[in-house]
Amino acid sequence: MKPRSAAIFGYNEYSKQIAKQISAVYDNVGVFVIDEAEFLEAQDDGIIAQRFDLSDDWESIESQFDVNGLIVFCALADDAENVFLTISLRATFDKLFIIALAQDNESMMKMKSAGADKVMPILPIAANVINDLLTKPIMTQVLHDILYEDGDLTVLEIEITQKSPLNGCYLHELHFKRDFDLILLAIVDQEMGTTFSFASKGHNHHIDAGDILVFMGYAEKLNVIKKWNDGVTI
Amino acid sequence: MLSRWVVNTAFFLHTWHSYQRTKIFFYNFLENQRYPYKKYFDIFMMGLIFLSVYILIRSVKHELPHGWLIFNNYVISLIFLFEYILRFWVHSSNSKTIIEQYESDVFLHRPFSFTGAIKTIFAQKMEYVLSPTAIIDLLAIMPFFHEFRLLRIFILFRVLKLFRYAKSLRRLISILASKKFEILTLMVFTMIMIMVSSVLIYVMEANNPDSKINTLFDAVYWSVVTIFTVGYGDFVPVTDGGRVVAMMIIVSGIAVISFATSIVVSAFTEKLDEIKEDKMIDSVNALKRMYLVCGFSPLAHEVIHKLHKRHIPIVILEKDPQKILQARKNGFLALGYDSGSLHTYSHLKIDFERQVEAIILLHESDVANIYTALTIRELTKNIALYSILHHPSNRKKLLLAGMDHIINAHELVGMMSKIIAAQPVAFEVIHALRSEQTSTIVDEIILDSDMKDRFYALLKDPLFYQRFSVLGIYSTQFKVFHFNPDPEMNIEPGDVAIVIANRGLIDEFRTKLHRRGKV
Repeated sequence: MKPRSAAIFGYNEYSKQIAKQISAVYDNVGVFVIDEAEFLEAQDDGIIAQRFDLSDDWESIESQFDVNGLIVFCALADDAENVFLTISLRATFDKLFIIALAQDNESMMKMKSAGADKVMPILPIAANVINDLLTKPIMTQVLHDILYEDGDLTVLEIEITQKSPLNGCYLHELHFKRDFDLILLAIVDQEMGTTFSFASKGHNHHIDAGDILVFMGYAEKLNVIKKWNDGVTI
Repeated sequence: MLSRWVVNTAFFLHTWHSYQRTKIFFYNFLENQRYPYKKYFDIFMMGLIFLSVYILIRSVKHELPHGWLIFNNYVISLIFLFEYILRFWVHSSNSKTIIEQYESDVFLHRPFSFTGAIKTIFAQKMEYVLSPTAIIDLLAIMPFFHEFRLLRIFILFRVLKLFRYAKSLRRLISILASKKFEILTLMVFTMIMIMVSSVLIYVMEANNPDSKINTLFDAVYWSVVTIFTVGYGDFVPVTDGGRVVAMMIIVSGIAVISFATSIVVSAFTEKLDEIKEDKMIDSVNALKRMYLVCGFSPLAHEVIHKLHKRHIPIVILEKDPQKILQARKNGFLALGYDSGSLHTYSHLKIDFERQVEAIILLHESDVANIYTALTIRELTKNIALYSILHHPSNRKKLLLAGMDHIINAHELVGMMSKIIAAQPVAFEVIHALRSEQTSTIVDEIILDSDMKDRFYALLKDPLFYQRFSVLGIYSTQFKVFHFNPDPEMNIEPGDVAIVIANRGLIDEFRTKLHRRGKV
């Protein structure tokens, strides 16, 4: 089930940007703050935040959201508190999709151990961008436009369905570039585990239902393959 | 009439570009420690000195070929004389002095003081002539007059010239000079000790027929040998009085040696940081290309760590001593200077156009980054400036300060959160490609128009087919990205292909692309 609601923990520059970016994507976005100062700051910005503490009382979450359709952003300013928040949420909700912020790689590992599904290490991310800008400026700009700007060129991940024509095919039999004007970046082969492997590795994967394929291409073409995967005849 | 002619000549020389260029060239060659070719001149001169001393030593017990002596007495001496004259010339500018005097007199409605100008010129030149190094230079030329046998010993002054050319020797002198007072005190104390002990030992020993100390010179020699704890034993006191004096002198000698040692050690300890700093500045000046990082923050640590893989040297400017210490502990080249001060750059003599690839401003406040950017923009407009933005409200200010690229971690996280929430696998794939954590990377390949056929042919090569993905070609001329390019698409000079493949395979593709002949 695709999450329809999002909960953001913490109110700082990061959570403000997260709220700004995801508000158009989710039906319901809630902001939870840990102290009075954050509460007042959110209020000044016109956001009705809710208070929470680091105890195991998550009644307000359960009453407000359908936890199965909820995505959580742990964006507290302090890494230690963020780890504690992540582990508290994971201890209570098994299926919750948790995205956590970490200052560095060291905290990132702790967040992962605490049960976060995805972690965004802030310093390494910023350092990567600076490094890329200095060493590969064109590639950086192109990828930035593809990923973050609302242009036609974008990325899409699709999960292979049972009725998909791709189900049962070998990767080398398919010519996404030629036939769909799409570039296959990577594949998550369920048989091999949950981690992805790059298409350019040259492995001849057997595509099964449940595998995830990550494509890059124009939205229109991506839509075609998405429908095709869903079993719609083109 | 003469004054008029002198002023006109001064103006002529002052505006004569060839003359000024030649003078600057010789000044750089002789005096400018940062001039890259000076070291070759210094090495050449040191070579001449060693050769000269070798010839002197060799001539003591061997008959030397006439050519060697001619070389030593005339060629080397002439080179030294020429050097002396050049140094005399570049020490000060006569034309400038005359013009300054003339303009000052004109401004004050006075007749041009020719004698005043000559006096100033004379004082400036005498300042050079009477400087210790110039005196040594002059004495080193003396062996030129080899007919005077005594003057040959002056060849040893050439050894003293080494102080001029060897930086480490100059540094040693400057370190000892910082303890001038202590050294002078020690010298006075030692001289008094020698004088007193010489007189005492002479009085005690001179009339004793068993004693070898018969003259005042013997007494002084014995005192010096004893006070400096050498004690050859060729002269020994034989009287009781003389032995008492000897005991006192031996004890005093230990004090003199200890005092002298402590002066040298403390001088070196005090100057150690300065020496290290000087050495670091030298190594920065020697860099042909570098990234300049202003401010050492946790982010700077990450950035430098990543940039190190590119094998381009990185120099950090940070004024906080704690952070400098931390940076140096991590093995980074960090200098304790304020990146926002013009003085820093003039002191470090960084050549932005020649040495610096880009400047990255990573202070922990936007205020410091803006201040540094404005300082750098005062010095150069051409260098690329990258800065971290801490508060989105300051973006415009950073742009106004002349920043070329602004990176805001908050915005990045916001944008990433959108894609990570919707397409976590896609995010992970792109993140892995960019962070270069795996062997598969995304890279740029710069193309040329004559590479078109080869480029598309290589993509069909079994080595690259299915394993080398071209995302697209970016046209630098039209600033357009052509996704999944058609093999018929033209390639213009400077176009950039964005590719995904194994790092080794990309290198192989590059090599084959630039190789001539059939694919």
